[in-house]
Amino acid sequence: MTQLTFRSATKRYWRILTPFMLIFLVIMIGGSGYLATQEVEPVWTRAMIAIGCAIPVAVCMFALIRYVFETDEYYRMVYFKSIAISSGVTVTAIFLFGFLQMFRVIDRVEVFLFGPAFFSAQALAIPLFARRPPK
Amino acid sequence: MKNTIKALRAERGWSQAALADHLGVSRQSVNAIETGKYDPSLPLAFAIARLFSKSIEEIFDDETEAKLAAE
Repeated sequence: MTQLTFRSATKRYWRILTPFMLIFLVIMIGGSGYLATQEVEPVWTRAMIAIGCAIPVAVCMFALIRYVFETDEYYRMVYFKSIAISSGVTVTAIFLFGFLQMFRVIDRVEVFLFGPAFFSAQALAIPLFARRPPK
Repeated sequence: MKNTIKALRAERGWSQAALADHLGVSRQSVNAIETGKYDPSLPLAFAIARLFSKSIEEIFDDETEAKLAAE
């Protein structure tokens, strides 16, 4: 991917993130509102709304990945380290809850929760690497 | 790694943000390099050296000589 200046990479990122997050909100709120007014709705309607919510999130994810490659080297290092930590934390949680579920210690855990868990772990890890004291 | 970027920047009356703009990096990158939290890549080190018209060795000190002298 092209190496841009920090400012250009940041502007490019926000030019994608802002409209697609708005699209996500419109589809999610509009779709939920529409479904609430229907007594019976076909599965394909719910499927389209669900996929319609997921697509903008996917676009924003790839915009973030592109930003990480295009941004300056310091931020790239911080983001990659935080993604490594949050991946480890999330995968550990998936295995832990998976085994607890398998051995019937707990009830079914919503898969959806691991997405926010990943981003929360990353958000906590970023300042950890950004403020590492000098060696 | 120790460096003299802060002093060189002050000689020219530049803020960290101004230096960052010259180099095309973030202000946080400049701060991290100046405080020794982050060592720049070779292309960025060359860009810094070119900007201040100095060699990389004149700006950055990996303290190898001091360590060898101590041994």
